[in-house]
Amino acid sequence: MAWLKEFPSLGSDALGEIRRTVDGAFRGFTREHGEMMERLFDPLRDFLLASERLLTQSPWPFVVGGIALIAWLASRSLKIVVGTVITLLLIGFFGMWGDTMKTISMIFVCTVVALVVGLPLGIAMSRWDRLQRVINPTLDVMQTMPSFVYLIPVVMLLGIGRVPGLIAVVIYAIPPVIRFTNLGIRLVDKDLLEAADAFGSSTWQKMHQVQLPLALPTIMAGVNQTIMLSLAMVVIASMIGVQGLGQPVLKAISNQYFTMGIFNGLAIVGIAIIFDRVSQAYGKRLQRHLEVVHG
Amino acid sequence: MAEQQPVATPAPQAAPAGISIRNLYKIFGPTPEKFLGPVREGMSKQELRDVHGHVLGLRDINIDMPAGGIQVVMGLSGSGKSTLIRHINRLIDPTAGELLVQVNGQPVDVMKMNQRELLRFRREQTAMVFQKFALFPHFTVLENAEYGLQVQGVARKKRRDNAMRWIERVGLKGYEDNYPNQLSGGMQQRVGLARALSNDAPILLMDEAFSALDPLIRSDMQSVLLDLQQEIGKTIVFITHDLDEALRLGDRIAILRDGEVVQQGTGQQIVLKPADDYIASFVRDVNRGRVIRCRTLMLSGARVDGPDVDPSLVIEEAARQLSSESKEAANVVNSKGKHLGTISMSDIIGAIVPPNPEPAPEAPSAETH
Amino acid sequence: MTYTPHLPLAVLTSALALSACGKKEEAASAAAVAPEAAVAQACGKVTVANMNWQSAEVLAHIDNIILSKGYGCEVELVPGDTMPTLTAMMEKGQPDVAPEAWINAVRQPLDAAVKEGKLHYAAESLKDGGVEGWWIPKYVADANPSIKTIDDALKHPELFPSAENKGKGAVHNCPSGWNCQLTTVNAFKAWGAAKQGFVLLDTGSAAGLDGSIAKAYERKQGWLGYYWAPTSILGKYEMVKLDAGYPHDKEAFETCNAKAECDKPVKTDWARAEVFTVVTDRFQKAGGPAVDYLKQRAWGNETVNALLAWMSANQATGADGAAHFLKTQPEVWSGWVSPEVAEKVKASL
Repeated sequence: MAWLKEFPSLGSDALGEIRRTVDGAFRGFTREHGEMMERLFDPLRDFLLASERLLTQSPWPFVVGGIALIAWLASRSLKIVVGTVITLLLIGFFGMWGDTMKTISMIFVCTVVALVVGLPLGIAMSRWDRLQRVINPTLDVMQTMPSFVYLIPVVMLLGIGRVPGLIAVVIYAIPPVIRFTNLGIRLVDKDLLEAADAFGSSTWQKMHQVQLPLALPTIMAGVNQTIMLSLAMVVIASMIGVQGLGQPVLKAISNQYFTMGIFNGLAIVGIAIIFDRVSQAYGKRLQRHLEVVHG
Repeated sequence: MAEQQPVATPAPQAAPAGISIRNLYKIFGPTPEKFLGPVREGMSKQELRDVHGHVLGLRDINIDMPAGGIQVVMGLSGSGKSTLIRHINRLIDPTAGELLVQVNGQPVDVMKMNQRELLRFRREQTAMVFQKFALFPHFTVLENAEYGLQVQGVARKKRRDNAMRWIERVGLKGYEDNYPNQLSGGMQQRVGLARALSNDAPILLMDEAFSALDPLIRSDMQSVLLDLQQEIGKTIVFITHDLDEALRLGDRIAILRDGEVVQQGTGQQIVLKPADDYIASFVRDVNRGRVIRCRTLMLSGARVDGPDVDPSLVIEEAARQLSSESKEAANVVNSKGKHLGTISMSDIIGAIVPPNPEPAPEAPSAETH
Repeated sequence: MTYTPHLPLAVLTSALALSACGKKEEAASAAAVAPEAAVAQACGKVTVANMNWQSAEVLAHIDNIILSKGYGCEVELVPGDTMPTLTAMMEKGQPDVAPEAWINAVRQPLDAAVKEGKLHYAAESLKDGGVEGWWIPKYVADANPSIKTIDDALKHPELFPSAENKGKGAVHNCPSGWNCQLTTVNAFKAWGAAKQGFVLLDTGSAAGLDGSIAKAYERKQGWLGYYWAPTSILGKYEMVKLDAGYPHDKEAFETCNAKAECDKPVKTDWARAEVFTVVTDRFQKAGGPAVDYLKQRAWGNETVNALLAWMSANQATGADGAAHFLKTQPEVWSGWVSPEVAEKVKASL
């Protein structure tokens, strides 16, 4: 009866052996190729540092003005612009400016990377069903695997700091862009694709004149989700030394500084709301003439 | 065979192309080639579907479409007419058969073109108008109209001018910067028409183009089309399920049923000599007065006391004239003044009234409207 | 398979039979413990802090096994960390036991709590004390024999490069929540490392700190930062502790260097860290003989380092390591408990 109570598993020796072998193999890999992988990510690292320098070292009125301008161009809503400016001013007033700028810089780079990698992948997925069958489960893993699991090998390969932090955030946050791009393109009205074909469009013309513009509102929804998820990862990234709002939150957790945690948490929420409203407003504007107004 | 002679067109056009469809077969399913043989030998649509899980789209289609005229392909849903028209620009690939089009004086088989040739063919030789308009919602009316030219890479100003010309011609001047979702159905289809016409392609494919419009607008659009055709003389292939529309527009009509051609000919031929009971019931309620021409009913004979009528005049018109002048018979005189024969009112009435229906058939016949 | 009224009955019967088997086994062990029932009543429930570094973790599991199997306590392991656990013990009296409390950081408030009678010091669990400081890899020390003290190391930022700050050196700090973060920040300030071209890197978490050492060691790169013994990292990767160059200044440490707000930190070595087991007053009174065990239980760094090295090599968890230790080194731990308790513990392994 004992075997019913305790699940028959591989003995601890066998399990230990498996673990040791895989670990050893990975360490060997990092020894061999770690240097090369680090060099591979150098341009990304420089981009990260440049973006952070831009945001933290520019005089703050310029930064507030610049962000307000972007908010205006994207949303054309006075309410959103005013809300953005007030939130940023409050954040600065409570002494969280530097950290917030670092976080915004990280989110910005993460979104750019997500678009550069995710858009082509989503487009490819929309064209080949087989690819979709392979990528979908991969995306599921990326979104549910606990981040620390793949942080460990990343830290071993690339050390601690911004680049591994970025990788962790991107892995978690990129699936929505890929999924929504795929979905948006597949959902384009088949009649329109037929019309494009009937007039002799090549595949590339069809993609960039018909499919992508019509999929754009859906893609924007994906970008919006990606931004939200990257903000959610900010605290986890701080666990491998990434600076920004995550660090004070982590410090607050570890030292049980209640108020500090709340303030920085609210700053993260504030940034999240700004990004969310602005990107949604932009998405809605894109949809304007896609709606049927006249019966 | 065209009832209307194409008028010399002012704008430079490519020579109008005739289309010949030969032995066209289309089977839908995973392995269509396997069933080509059995279908050629006569396997029924039912058997193909129930036993083998394939759908018979088209069987042995042979149609000659006149250059510069309007060819109507008619049938009910499931008859294969939409499938057929899509073979012309190869939006659907056939299982067997050829489709010859006159391009620059040479007959070319569309089914044998490679991808590059096909793209060129679609850009330069054909243009299409769709039942549900298929306008790009993110383009303005102008951008929609110039789409075909943009795909060809025509320079901005030139394509803009061309598109504007056709937008005005279909009566949408002033709307060029609107978006499709701001226009009514009829206006949207005009944009669709303008888009197709801007291409200046010799072949115009219209897939139930007016079926989604309400009857008054539909009638309007038919007049617009007939008007344009006087000017442009394109080879138009028009799909519809409406017999009245077919008779009004079509120089020649082909009727499809379950993927096969049941009858083809002029409207008059079909109305007067339906090939089988199916078509007979189709045409039973049509307004024969507007279809039958004087030359068909005239009898040879000496001149009588009555008005002169043209041989191509529809007998309804002739009846109107006789009635207004209170005469019993008219003289059929051709354009050169030669007396061809006479036509009497009683004959006209006899032809206008539908024949006695046959003893009721087993299955109720389909009515078209 | 057709549905019969007998089917659910059969399932029910077999389920009852199975649980009856289980009950039989429980009844058997209950009988063995019966003589200790009186003691079990005395020990009752106890929460033990399982702090998130290896030596504390394995010690917590050793306490778990001995207290539950030897003394019949109902043990619950709760996760912990120096500051949060000790604060909670001082304020709320929970958890009951902190097996490996590094008390230097919280000396004053802790002494105050002990004076009030809320908490009590039990054994000095790491009897050799903990060793804190700034360490460098052995291969760097061997290649640069002139580097012996912190001052020497700080003269060479190029030997300890920072990946993200070109041209600067990096000193790796320990994570938030650990007292060493404060002392390292102050040491960084005291030694003027910034002026000498260094940046202080926050590693974020224990995993981050360990990961940075592992990565540097695998690639034979330079690394400089805070670490402590006894640990498995130091067992696995040979490191050399830099001499502070200055003796330990107790007063400066307690009033300034160990605090967050410290304007003028002083160059001083870290004290030999005192590591005690701390228990709450409630458990001291209610625990019975179990408390005596906690007053006896102490081990030296050599033992700990060896055990940690074994755990690292075998990827063992704290529970595995505790079991291994109890099985293979009875000569060390039987001295902590009475012979009957030792027998019970040995029997349960």
